[in-house]
Amino acid sequence: MQARRIPKILSFESIMWLFMRISGLAMYVFALTGLTIALIMGARTQMDMGTLLRWTFFPIGTHVTSSDILVLEQWINPFWTIMQYLTIVFATMHGTNGLRMVLEDYMDAGWGVHVLRGLLLIIWLFMLLVAFNLIQTTGAV
Amino acid sequence: MQVTLKVYRYNPEKDKKPHYDTFTLEADPTERVLDLMERIKGLQDGTLTFRRSCAHGVCGSDAMRINGVNRLACKTLVQDVGKKITVEPILGLPVIKDMIVDMEPFFENYRSVMPYFVNNDPPPNGERLQSPEERERFDDTTKCILCAACTTSCPSFWANGKYVGPSAIVNAHRFIFDSRDQAAKERLEILAGQFGVYRCRTIFNCTLACPREIQITKAIGEIKEAIATGNLD
Ligand code: SF4
Ligand code: FES
Repeated sequence: MQARRIPKILSFESIMWLFMRISGLAMYVFALTGLTIALIMGARTQMDMGTLLRWTFFPIGTHVTSSDILVLEQWINPFWTIMQYLTIVFATMHGTNGLRMVLEDYMDAGWGVHVLRGLLLIIWLFMLLVAFNLIQTTGAV
Repeated sequence: MQVTLKVYRYNPEKDKKPHYDTFTLEADPTERVLDLMERIKGLQDGTLTFRRSCAHGVCGSDAMRINGVNRLACKTLVQDVGKKITVEPILGLPVIKDMIVDMEPFFENYRSVMPYFVNNDPPPNGERLQSPEERERFDDTTKCILCAACTTSCPSFWANGKYVGPSAIVNAHRFIFDSRDQAAKERLEILAGQFGVYRCRTIFNCTLACPREIQITKAIGEIKEAIATGNLD
C-alpha cells in the first residue's frame, strides 16, 4: 500500500488557526517567565500584587518604578525589551484575529464584512503603533 | 400510558407566527415518536406536516428536535424521552410548514465539497481494487444519511449558514480518505477556506446529534490534519 500524499495546503484560515494555538500557548510562557523571573529578582518582598501582575502581563520598566525596587538594571534591559515586543505582537494579533473570527461567524461575505475587517486591521495597527511608541520612549534601553 | 405531544405548528398560508399545539394520546413505551405523529395525523389532525419515508433510520428525512435534541423521530422511543414530548423542526434552516424545513441551503453546502467519486484513470477490467484496510479508513463517514441533524445542531452553522457544516465535511471526508479517489486536494482546498473546517470550534454538538453515531468531530480533526500535513493515510 503506497502512501497517499498531497502538498501541504497553506490558506489564510489554516495559518491563522495554527497561529491562534501557538500564540495562546506563547502568552502563557511569556506571562510565567515574567512572573517567575520577577519573583526571583525580588518582587516577593519589594512589589505589591497589582504591580507584580501588571509586570507579569507586560514586563515594562514603568511598572517597576512605582514599587519599592531601587535597582532597576535587572528590570530594564534588552531581554525585557524583546519580551515586550513579543508580548504585544502576539497578544494584539491573537485578540484581533479572535474578533475577526467572531465577525465572520455572524456576517456573510458581503461588503460590510470587508469594511469591518479593514477597520479591525486599522485598530490593530494603531494598537501596535501606540505600544511600540511606549516601548521606545519608556521601556527600551 | 398517556402521552402529551407538544408540536410546533406553522402554516404560512394562515399563520403570521408559529405556535404550539398539544395532543394527548395513548402510547406504548416502545412506540416511536414517529408512530405518535402518524397517529395524530391519521386520527386527530390531518394537517400536521412532516417528512418521513423509510421509518427505519435509513433515509434521513425525519430529523427533528425532540425535547430540544436533534433526533430521528423513527429511531426515538417514547420510553427514552418520557411522557411529555415536545417536537420542533431542526434549527438554522427556514421552516416551510410545521416540521418541514427548506433543505436547499443544506444541500448547497453539501454539493460545494464535491461529494462524489473522482478518478480520471481509465477504468480497469472489473473493479478498482482496494484493500480491507484502505476501505476501513473511511468506513465511519460512509454511514451518513444526510439527515442534517448534525449541521442544524451546530452553533457555527446557526450563526452563519455559509459555513459548510459538519455533514458536508463528513461527506468530503468519505472521499478524501478513499484510496481510489483523486480529488482530495481540491476538496481540502475548499475546506481550508473561509467557510470550511476552521469555523468548527469543536463544540461536539454534531457528534452527539448524529443518529448514525459517526465520530464527526474526529473526522473534522482528521481533515485539519490532512490540510496541515498533506498526509492522506
Ligand atoms: S453525519 Fe450523521 S447527523 Fe450528520 S447528516 Fe450524516 S447521518 Fe445525519
Ligand atoms: S423516516 Fe427514514 S430515517 Fe426516519
